[in-house]
Amino acid sequence: MIAFLTRNVGAGLSARLKTLTLIGLLPLAGCSMEPIYKTTGVVMSGYSWTEATPYVMQMSDPTMACALGEGVDPLLYSFSEVVDAPDDSGSLLMALAANCVEYRAWEAELDYLRADYAGDVVAAKNAREMAKRLNAESAVRRHRSFERAMAAYDFDPAAEPLVCPDFDDEQDELTFLLGLLNGMQAIVNDSNSGARAGIPRNIAPQAERAATCVNNDKWAGLPSAVRALVWLLLPDTQPDSATDPWKVLDKSSDMSIRAGMRASMAIEVVAAETFGRPDILEQTIAEFASADGRMKVWEDYRLVDVVAGTIVQFASDKHWAANYGHRTPQGAFGKLSPENPMSDMETMDLDGLL
Amino acid sequence: MIRKSLSALILAAMAPLASAQSVSMCVFDVIGANGDLYNMIKDYALEMKAHGVDLQLKPYTDEGVAIGDFNAGQCDAVAATDIRVRPYNQFTGSIGAVGALPTYDDLKTLLATLAQPKAAPLMKANGYEVLGILPVGAGYLFVNDRSIDTAGELAGKRIATLDYQEDAIHMVNFVKATVVPSDITNFAGKFNNGSVDTAYAPAFAYEALELYKGIGESGGIVDYPLAQVTVQMVARDDVLADEKAQKAREVAWGMFPQAMKLVAGQEAAIPDQKWVRIPAKDVEGYQEMFRQNRLEMRDGLNGAPSVYHPKMLGLLSKIRCASNPSASECTAANRE
Repeated sequence: MIAFLTRNVGAGLSARLKTLTLIGLLPLAGCSMEPIYKTTGVVMSGYSWTEATPYVMQMSDPTMACALGEGVDPLLYSFSEVVDAPDDSGSLLMALAANCVEYRAWEAELDYLRADYAGDVVAAKNAREMAKRLNAESAVRRHRSFERAMAAYDFDPAAEPLVCPDFDDEQDELTFLLGLLNGMQAIVNDSNSGARAGIPRNIAPQAERAATCVNNDKWAGLPSAVRALVWLLLPDTQPDSATDPWKVLDKSSDMSIRAGMRASMAIEVVAAETFGRPDILEQTIAEFASADGRMKVWEDYRLVDVVAGTIVQFASDKHWAANYGHRTPQGAFGKLSPENPMSDMETMDLDGLL
Repeated sequence: MIRKSLSALILAAMAPLASAQSVSMCVFDVIGANGDLYNMIKDYALEMKAHGVDLQLKPYTDEGVAIGDFNAGQCDAVAATDIRVRPYNQFTGSIGAVGALPTYDDLKTLLATLAQPKAAPLMKANGYEVLGILPVGAGYLFVNDRSIDTAGELAGKRIATLDYQEDAIHMVNFVKATVVPSDITNFAGKFNNGSVDTAYAPAFAYEALELYKGIGESGGIVDYPLAQVTVQMVARDDVLADEKAQKAREVAWGMFPQAMKLVAGQEAAIPDQKWVRIPAKDVEGYQEMFRQNRLEMRDGLNGAPSVYHPKMLGLLSKIRCASNPSASECTAANRE
């Protein structure tokens, strides 16, 4: 027994000495390691942009993608200490990380709505507070995603006149566009947090202007949808010649189904909730649900479509939780009330049988 | 004072227990508590809780045992396929009459009709009451050789036949095929190892019971619904009050879209090239053949068992003729 203790204590001491030696050597190694770090940073940034990003964009698992954002962002972004910040990948990773915390905020909000429905005020208050805190976290992450996207393309969203960035390829354009969308979502999250994240609200008009830098037809109506949402929030930003924002959103949604990437529909749903248009909410959710299966998904950006789906599903769940105390039942996605199957069903006369 | 308060407290604590009626149900699912059907009945049970009925579900992978336990009073209710339920209610037990409901639209009309309060008297028979009907999908013929695509080709072939399904046995004999007595737990094995040439089952069996193995390279699934398989919940008549039993049937009918989505998914999982399409002209002939057989099995003619309820056959005929009024059976003298 004593021999065992001696052996283990001895081993422990030896390991500790080794650790101390390593710590002592680190300041010396720092200088000689830096070129390796720089090289690694360049390789990591390059790999994440050219290989990992296209791969992740094709994923169909939003939860795994968000976990990737939360897990990889600090590692990748730590290389900004030794090389230029990888803002392009970093914007997307931070957006994914924001999705993670937003999903948790959604669960808290559904808890709040269910408790409220059940008349449990204490549980409702607790869940609502949780939702606010998580919305604040999400707002901060989304704002960071927005800022990184703007930095990645040296774009000053406040510049007058507007100077659009030069994009090298499709992935650049979409990253920029999603950055704008995250800026808008940051505002929505901040509002839902009780403004505790302090997101500057002038992101909205900036995003509206910046959205004109991206081709609307190419991106399935998403730029116009972003603009229309801002027009609804801030009517002054709407050009005189612009069409009714609801018509723009509707058209963008149609385009998004045709393109197989329904981000515009998520925006239309958020707009319908924000501005109290239950008719549009119901119609858009129904259209989204009916497009499932018959629509050809834009494979290169499948993740965008899937994430949009989670937003629309959440809108549906909120409605069901608030009105019926539970989330959307299986098979009911696309409807906002329980179907009364007896009401419009053809039946046979039973008189002869009874 | 203290005693009064205590009594009040005890009463208050008991109230929720007293308000929900506990009903035990033996539930058959080929793969037990993790099966699609069992899970659907869990949804049914949850809905019923909102109506003051607390269903205690017990899974069975052997339908015969589930029925046996129900008969022995081990459960207040049972969920089983219509063939097994026929002894409790011949009317609803005749829904799966051969070839009687060629489309899912017709099935929908039927189940909507039966869920009406007006149909309640037809749900009771022999001291039992039907508490709901859920579709499981049409039964199709699985063949190990695609050339078996007409009734004539079935002559001499070995068909795995449920040994308690009298109408199927009659049909197999009628087409001059050979009955190979089987049950739900072993028919798939017989088909897959080549002991039989054909078997009939809903689409879910293709993947769940690996019937693709028996189909192999040369076989297929004949794209014609032989019968509509349903699972029916049946209780002893005194278990639920009439209004709760009616509510239960409406709850089950409300699950029709959910059930059909499941069926559609199972049918879509079968690769397109595995279906054996039947020419429209042949279909008419089959329909008439099935109809003549149904008449025999209604009236017990030509050695047929008397298993179909005439009222159900009449109702099914009305539904078919409402959706396809030009069919020759609609003006036939011996209309069902």
